[in-house]
Amino acid sequence: MTERLSQLPRRQLLVTTSAAATVTTLDINPARSAGSPNSGGDITFLIDSLGDTWIPNNSAISSFQGHIWGHVTDKLVYVDTDGKVSPWIAESWAQNDTATAFTLHLKNGVTFSDGTPLDASAVVANLDIWYAGRRNEGINPIGLFPKTYDHAEVVDASTVKVFFKAPTLGFIPTLGYHGSILISPKTIAQPATQQANLGKTSGSGPYLVDAWKEGDFVKLVKRKDYNWGPPAVGHTGPALLDSITYKLVAEQSVRVASVQSGQADVAYSPSPLELQSLKEAGFTVATPRYLGFVNGLAINTKVAPFDDVKVRQALQAGINRQEIIDTVYTPDWKLATSFIQSNVPGATDHGDLLVYDPAKAEKLLDEAGWIKGAGGIRTKDGKQLSLTLSSNPYLVTSKAVDELTAQQLGKIGWKVSIRAYDVVTYGEKVRIGSQTVPAYEVTRSFIDAGTVASILTDANNGENWFALGQSDPKINELRDRVAGAGSAKIRDPLLDELQKYVLEQGYFIPFTQIVQRIYLQSPRLKGEVYNGIAYASYYNATKRT
Amino acid sequence: MRYPYRTYAAKRLIQAVIVILLAYVLTFVVVSILPGDPITSVLRDPQNGFTEEQIQATIAAQGLDRPIPVRLGMSLSHFLIGDFGLSMRSSRPVATLINEVLPSTLILASAGLLVALLLAGALAYGTQFLPKRFGQGFLRGAPSLFLSVPNFVIGLVLIHVFGFQFGLFRVIEPNSLWATIFAAIALGISVSARIAEVLIANLDHESRQEYAVVARARGLGHARLFLSHLLKPSSLPVVTVIVLTIGELLGGSLITETVFGRAGIGSLVQRSATTHDLPVLQAVVSLAAVVFVLANLMADLIYPLLDPRVKLFGDPGARLASAEESAVDGSGVVTP
Repeated sequence: MTERLSQLPRRQLLVTTSAAATVTTLDINPARSAGSPNSGGDITFLIDSLGDTWIPNNSAISSFQGHIWGHVTDKLVYVDTDGKVSPWIAESWAQNDTATAFTLHLKNGVTFSDGTPLDASAVVANLDIWYAGRRNEGINPIGLFPKTYDHAEVVDASTVKVFFKAPTLGFIPTLGYHGSILISPKTIAQPATQQANLGKTSGSGPYLVDAWKEGDFVKLVKRKDYNWGPPAVGHTGPALLDSITYKLVAEQSVRVASVQSGQADVAYSPSPLELQSLKEAGFTVATPRYLGFVNGLAINTKVAPFDDVKVRQALQAGINRQEIIDTVYTPDWKLATSFIQSNVPGATDHGDLLVYDPAKAEKLLDEAGWIKGAGGIRTKDGKQLSLTLSSNPYLVTSKAVDELTAQQLGKIGWKVSIRAYDVVTYGEKVRIGSQTVPAYEVTRSFIDAGTVASILTDANNGENWFALGQSDPKINELRDRVAGAGSAKIRDPLLDELQKYVLEQGYFIPFTQIVQRIYLQSPRLKGEVYNGIAYASYYNATKRT
Repeated sequence: MRYPYRTYAAKRLIQAVIVILLAYVLTFVVVSILPGDPITSVLRDPQNGFTEEQIQATIAAQGLDRPIPVRLGMSLSHFLIGDFGLSMRSSRPVATLINEVLPSTLILASAGLLVALLLAGALAYGTQFLPKRFGQGFLRGAPSLFLSVPNFVIGLVLIHVFGFQFGLFRVIEPNSLWATIFAAIALGISVSARIAEVLIANLDHESRQEYAVVARARGLGHARLFLSHLLKPSSLPVVTVIVLTIGELLGGSLITETVFGRAGIGSLVQRSATTHDLPVLQAVVSLAAVVFVLANLMADLIYPLLDPRVKLFGDPGARLASAEESAVDGSGVVTP
């Protein structure tokens, strides 16, 4: 390993400077760092599920458990809602100019709640298990951790060198991903059944698990010696609230009424249709957007008639996205401007390609030979123009969006049928690239836009969302250039070109930008912060009594 | 028969073991032929971004690709030595999961049954002795009303009125006394309907008997006539109905626990069923089978106490009475 280190180019891109600058320019409130007069208080957060297992690797990306992990654990870097990366446990970092080797400089004095130091060896243990998991024990790898990871080495107690088999510009941002939570090496060494016991898991976060019961509640209490919060949130000392209790209340109306009646402080996942009236009643409503793909359809180009670019383009023009926002959502939801969310660094505005133009859609379908017949359904060679949508069970509004889309497409001659499955059956029946799935509804968060390269084709274990294989040379070229870019400056124009091409070709049909996490909050609670994955952190929050 | 008790007990024990094993195997077969399981479901969560190759490697590493008979054999061999295995969903021991939530469900089900019995008794009493102008007709229709209102609706109304409006309990403390009482009411109302229907029908029958007419003619008070004379002979089929309502109590607890935010067997089953968590479902179904077997046994033992004409054994050729064999005609009236 030392040999490989010596092969690193001498001229390393030192990100340290910018990281240090970020720290010094932040408006850190010294009173808060020392413990504020506002500190104290307990809050209750009502949630519709507490997920499945608590094995950290298997649960960190859960839309539900991520809330708890965000308070019990720390990350190496912090990523805000605009995708800006700033120091956290990693005080600074550097990379070589091919983005295949990175050096992380860690904060000193950080410990896990079991007393183990959060040092270089702990970081290496975490990187290794994020990459590989322990499959035979049922500990999965972290899905979106770079598959190009090679290995990591301890240089000294506060320095780690990380090596990749190929350029991986997204490595540093991915350290702020919700899957990249730092867990004590003692917990990591435990078998899966022990890791599944949340009470025995040690993180280094501002809260500790005080009590928990599966499928019922998790009570967190603040860690008094915590002093290593992310400077970007303006506070690094112990949390201000004494405790946070996450309580499972499956019934949506009960969660909302509990906040309205003052019995609880936060309700997760209220109905979008209630938000306006709740706002008017003085409650705080938050609809943060995560960094990632917008909600939309990945089109299977191997399935007729979607092997015809004109049909895909007609689909792109035949969806009225504004009507989806007006009917299913509220003005808090934003129109898609690309197939990635507009807050992702590197996302560019291609809204002109997503304009609702039914006349254009009809013309394209006519040109493709799909002629309107009886009942307004288009046919070609005796076959009807049909599309089956399988509603995404991970998104509660998916079926409503599909139903509205079916009406819109029906007007231009499409016969749309909708299928709805539970989560388990969906996983078995609806697979991306399957012959029976012409359009796969996607919702997925990510931190770095470089992730896009891994879904385009089947090269390098790619996910091949559009079933293109290696058949589109332009996509192949853009994939390789995006994946191989050593800096954002080189990559951003490529990403712009890629976004335009994918939308023009109708490979991806966006619906709207996605808001998957919705919060209803008591006006007495202030100071919560939403990160790049749209999780609320109450580390900095205070509650008025 | 030299040892009638032993023979009876042995027969019932063998029956119970067969029922429990069949329930275990049947659950395995039914859940196994359904597509998907919790482990694969997590792997296929699009958020994870696993490739098919990664998914298949994990499935193989955990033995989920083995043939169903092989997995059934392994599961059964563990079950026979009292090992329920690990939950596929949470990776925690199934026995631990059940132990954590069983007390809460037992409390809710017992309280629900108590509410149901009290309510059914009160309704039945009212139908016999309340003057018609004071709503006797309404009381006779009440069981149908209780049956037709889903208990999640009753639960939500109780929560909104007594929890949020009157502040009698806090939703975030579902195991508090008041929250448990209202959850038991939500659960007990629908269960009370079936008991009340049978009890009212039998009370109508008994109150027309000569002994009741004589007792009434001798000036016996309503309460004494009800408790000392009418209730006991009318209760025999009620015992059968109570046994049958155990299923309703378990099923109702699923909905009631969900609405009231209580962690119990019902909510555990709900989570396990939606994720196809086979080991937990097998354990809970086996547990339910044990409960049913025990409840039937208790009903058999209670019958002779209520009606001396019913015997479990004794006279040569006498047949075993059981809850299923009890002579209850279509109207729920005992015909000895």
